[in-house]
Amino acid sequence: MDSQSKVAVALKRSAVVLAMVFAFFPIYWLIATSLKPYDEWAAWPPVWLTDNPTLQNYRIVFFPEAARTFAAEQQGSLDYKVSGSAWKAFQDSAIISTIATIFSVAFGTLAAYSVVRFRTGGDNYPFQFLTVRMMPPIAVVVPIVALFSLLRLSDTYFGLILAYTAFTLPFSIWMIRSFIDEVPMELEGAAMVHGLGQFRAFLTVTLPLIRGGILATALFIFILNWSEFLFALVLTSGKVITVTLQVANYVSASSGKLYGVQAAMGTISTLPVIFFGYIIQRHLVRGLTFGAVKR
Amino acid sequence: MTEGALDSKTNARTPRSGGLLRIPFNIALVVPAQLTVMVVVVVPTLIVLWLAITDWQPTQAVPWYHAEPIWFWNFYDLWYDSRFVNAVLRTLFVVAACIAIELVLALGLALLFIEDWAWKKLAVSVVILPMMIIPVDAANAFFMLFNERGPINHLISLAIGQPYEFSWLSHPTWAMLPIMLAEIWQWTPLMFLLVLTGLTSLPQNQIRAAVVLGASPVRIFFRIMLPLLAPVIAIAVLIRSIETFKIFDPVYILTRGQPGGATETISMFMYNSAFVYFRFGYTAAAALIVLVVVISICIALSKPLKRHG
Repeated sequence: MDSQSKVAVALKRSAVVLAMVFAFFPIYWLIATSLKPYDEWAAWPPVWLTDNPTLQNYRIVFFPEAARTFAAEQQGSLDYKVSGSAWKAFQDSAIISTIATIFSVAFGTLAAYSVVRFRTGGDNYPFQFLTVRMMPPIAVVVPIVALFSLLRLSDTYFGLILAYTAFTLPFSIWMIRSFIDEVPMELEGAAMVHGLGQFRAFLTVTLPLIRGGILATALFIFILNWSEFLFALVLTSGKVITVTLQVANYVSASSGKLYGVQAAMGTISTLPVIFFGYIIQRHLVRGLTFGAVKR
Repeated sequence: MTEGALDSKTNARTPRSGGLLRIPFNIALVVPAQLTVMVVVVVPTLIVLWLAITDWQPTQAVPWYHAEPIWFWNFYDLWYDSRFVNAVLRTLFVVAACIAIELVLALGLALLFIEDWAWKKLAVSVVILPMMIIPVDAANAFFMLFNERGPINHLISLAIGQPYEFSWLSHPTWAMLPIMLAEIWQWTPLMFLLVLTGLTSLPQNQIRAAVVLGASPVRIFFRIMLPLLAPVIAIAVLIRSIETFKIFDPVYILTRGQPGGATETISMFMYNSAFVYFRFGYTAAAALIVLVVVISICIALSKPLKRHG
C-alpha cells in the first residue's frame, strides 16, 4: 500500500476530518451553549455561534446570588436544587473520588500482588472481581439502599466511597496485576537473596518500577469515580451531592429549559476528567480492557 | 502484544505460613479488597434473594427484614409484565445495534490511521475526545442537540427547505435514536483505540508479502488483517457488550424511560420500578433474574478466556 494516488490520500484525510467534526460537534455545542445569553438558549433558528458571549451561565452555576438575581429577572422561580451553588458538588465529588481512588488502588495493589506472586485463590479468583464489573450496578442498588439505611450510610461520604471502592476494584486489581506481571520475578528474588522479606522486596524493588502504572491506574479510577452517576443518584438525598448529580439536576429543573446553565455545568464538570484522560491516554486501552490489551 | 494479560506467568511460590492460627500472608493481602466486595456486592446479593420473594415497599411500616414473603409471585408477575419483557428485549437490541455500528465505524476509522502523516496525533486526540467526557455530560449534549429547537432539527429544516421541529425525545419510537447515538458517539472511540492498537501490532511482513504478490487491499483486509485482529475484536466486543448492557446514564438524562416506558432499558426499568413506584420486592426479583443470567455468562466466559489467556 505504498503507492497511493493523491486522490486516495485526499479522500482518506477528508474522512479523518469528517470523523473529527462528528467527534467534536456535541462538545462544541455544549461549550457554545454555555456562553449564550438567556434569550438565545432556545431560539429558533438555533444560534450556532453567539454574537454576545457571556459568562452569566457560569456565574449562575457558581454564585447563588447570581442564580437568585437571574430567577427574579427571567424565570420567576428556579428549582431549589438549582439555586444552590455548584461549589458544594465539586467539593463533594473531589473528596469522594479522591478517597475512593486511594482505597481502591491501595487494596487493589495488595490483592494484585498476592494474586500474581502467590496465585492466591487459584486461577478463578481474579474472575470473581471481574464479575463485580460485569453485573449491572442497578441489580444491587436496591439491596444496597436497604443495607445502607440499616447501617446509617445513606447520604454520607463514606457510603459512596465504599460503593465506589468496590466497583472500581476490578479495574485496579486487573490493571495493576498486568503491571506487576511485567516485572520479572528474578528482581525480587535478587533482593531476597540480600536478606529482604518477600513483601519488603516487593515494596522496595517492584513497587518503584511500576510507580507510573499505579499512578495511571489511580487517575483512571479517579475518572470513573468522578463520572459515576447511578450510585450517587440513589445513595444520596441532598446532603451529599456530586457533580454528575448537579448536572442531572440542571437538566431536570424547569423541565430542562435551562440550556445555558446546564451547558455551563456540563462543560466545567467534565474538564478535570478530560485533562486526566489525556495524561493517561497511553494507558486508557489497558485500563478499559482490564489489562487485556496493552500497547 | 495483545495476549497474555489474562494469564499470569507466575512462578508460584507458597507463602511462608506463620503458625497454625495466623492468617497466611497472601490471604491477608486480599482481605481489604475482599471485605469491600463482601459489603457492597455479596451481602446485597443475599439481600436480593430475600427481597425477591417479598412484596416489600419502603412505604410499608415494617422494615425490609420483617417483610411478609409472597414467594414466587414476583417472578410470575414479571413474566407477564410486558414492560419488563420489552425492557429486556430493548436492551438486547440496543447492545446488538450499538456494538455492530461501533465496530464497523471503528474498523473503518482505524484503517485510516495506519500510516503516519503530519497531524495524525492531533487527529487521534480529537477523535477520542468523546470517550474522555463524563457520560452524563455527553447525554446532556445530545439532549440539547435533539431538542425541538436544536441544531439537528435545524439541519433537517435546511435540508428539506421547511421548518422542522420534531420532538425526538417524546416520540415512542424515535426517542431511542438519540439515546443510542449518544452511546455510539461516546464509545466508538474506545473501539477505535482497541482496533488501532491491534492493527499497529500486526506483523507487517505478511501484509507486505501480500502486497508484493498483488493482492487487492480489500482482500488483504478480509483475508489477513481481520483474522489476525480477531482476538482484539473479541475482547472489544465483549467489554463493550457488558458495558452497553448496563446502559443507564443517557437513558436517565434523555428520557427517563419515557414516554410510557417506551425507552426503558433493563437498568432504567429497575430504577423506575424501585425509585418511582417504590416496588422494592418486585425490583429485587427482576435484579435476581439479571444477576443469575450475568453470573452464568461470567462463569461460562471465564473458562475459554483462561484457556485463551
